[in-house]
Amino acid sequence: MKRVWIHQIGAVLRLELKKTALSRRGWWVYILALMPVVLTLLHWLFEMSRSHGHHSLGEDSVVFAGIFLFFYLRGAIFFGCMGIFSNLFRGEMLEKTLHYYYLTPMRRELLVAGKYLSGLSVAMVVFVGSTAASFLMIGRHFGAAWTDYLVHGPGLGQLGSYVLVAALACVGYGAVFLMCGLLFKNPMIPAAVVFVWENLNPFLPTLLKKISVIFYLKNLCPVEVPVPPPFSVMVIDADPTPAWIAVPGLLAVSAIVLVYAAICARQSEISYGE
Amino acid sequence: MAVYKKTYRPYDGGLTPSWSRFLVIPRYAFEELHRSRFLSTFFIASFAYPLVCALIIYVQHNASVLSLLGVQGANRLISINITFFMSLLGWQSMMALFLAAFIGPRQVSPDLANNALSLYLARPFSRVEYVLGKMSILVILMSLMTWVPGLLCYLLQSYLEGWSWMKDNVNLASGFFFGAWVWILILALLALALSAWVKWRPAAGGLMFGVFFVAGAFGATINGVQRTKWGHLFNISHLIGSVWVQLFGDTDGTTNGALFFRVPRGEELPLWCCWASLAVLCLVCLYMLARKIRGAEVAR
Repeated sequence: MKRVWIHQIGAVLRLELKKTALSRRGWWVYILALMPVVLTLLHWLFEMSRSHGHHSLGEDSVVFAGIFLFFYLRGAIFFGCMGIFSNLFRGEMLEKTLHYYYLTPMRRELLVAGKYLSGLSVAMVVFVGSTAASFLMIGRHFGAAWTDYLVHGPGLGQLGSYVLVAALACVGYGAVFLMCGLLFKNPMIPAAVVFVWENLNPFLPTLLKKISVIFYLKNLCPVEVPVPPPFSVMVIDADPTPAWIAVPGLLAVSAIVLVYAAICARQSEISYGE
Repeated sequence: MAVYKKTYRPYDGGLTPSWSRFLVIPRYAFEELHRSRFLSTFFIASFAYPLVCALIIYVQHNASVLSLLGVQGANRLISINITFFMSLLGWQSMMALFLAAFIGPRQVSPDLANNALSLYLARPFSRVEYVLGKMSILVILMSLMTWVPGLLCYLLQSYLEGWSWMKDNVNLASGFFFGAWVWILILALLALALSAWVKWRPAAGGLMFGVFFVAGAFGATINGVQRTKWGHLFNISHLIGSVWVQLFGDTDGTTNGALFFRVPRGEELPLWCCWASLAVLCLVCLYMLARKIRGAEVAR
């Protein structure tokens, strides 16, 4: 039985990968991921052409931390996952093709798993790859010093943390948006609510902070980014969650959301007319 | 060959005056929007902040209320000045962005997806009137959310404070009015352009947020990586914030922009650059609309 399940998930994964990864609709996700890569590449080339550097390696590290927190986590990965995952079911509803899946002799839970895995693999390849490429290029103009920082210094550890956080962000936001695509006719409304909630996180009381994806991800980032004034006075500090709680915690929450999405898919009925 | 009696009779009833034909579109659109409970609730809830502002203005001028609450010195706590009105404008403008993201995408995309545009344009109704009609839906709703409550708060303060305050602070009213209009025009054009190009409504709505927030984050990324301030040219909130500071006539640097539309000190761009960037954005939106709003499409 297990082999049949794996076979079925693999079949859905293959079909969905063709639709998700190679679709013309998804061009903007690639552009989102490419934007910082192009910027860091330009930075490398500009700084190489200059005779004297205007900044230190440490400054570049802090700048990357800012880019990762404000561009990747709060912008590109959030909106990218919204586009990829909420489209998995809702897109099929709009194109009136979901019933083809529902008519196959396959459990709905497996369909949800297959679709989620396809979205996750695309999101991970795009955003984790983009994160790693940007990090490796931002300090490349320092030459041997950068290599030394990566190999003998904290560079590789930082890269590992950023890659892990980007992957976890795809897992967490992916699960949330897959459920939104299944439950809501217009996934924009819950997405807007989630966006506001995630951005309000630094200013929320400690207890409420913990009901968000960004709280756990921010604690896993290797370099802290200070909140600029005047908002810094409104920030409420909370004890950072250790990695051994944050990582399994986020995975567990994502699994719960996915199980709920699977139950919803099992009970759902298609009515394209509505 | 059979000869049939001519049964066609041209319409000989009264015609809607040509100048007001575009208003036919909002008339039907408002009926549809009214049916959405979520939108109605959101629209009503968006007046909470202006209501609080009006209450603050009233309480500040009412000594008996202050003494009743036991906060006699509270009138010195919040000043009714440029910062107060800019915060109101900033908050309401953010609400307008959400409204535009919710209702903007449903304006043009259904007509294009169902090939209904030719039905509009087959009538004595031009492309410009169509765009104006669709825009007016957003413009009317966003006006009610932004400059109308702002000017009402200004009038309340003027009434309570006196004629001299009104005369001295006329720049607040004009800044509020024109600043809100700049924002409304940009949002309306952006929403319609995205609606025309992205057929899936939620995606178009998401793209509205994307253009606003992701472009801002990208601008900040450029600033961080290249150690410059020109990345703010991608940041619509920065551009709008700069324009607002000018329109409010803040010459002595009392404020650095409205809520959500702040301009960090030392990172100000030349004003003409801000105006030019906003103009370019509007022109791009108009071009996008002109490409899509056509009665017939040639399929190659």
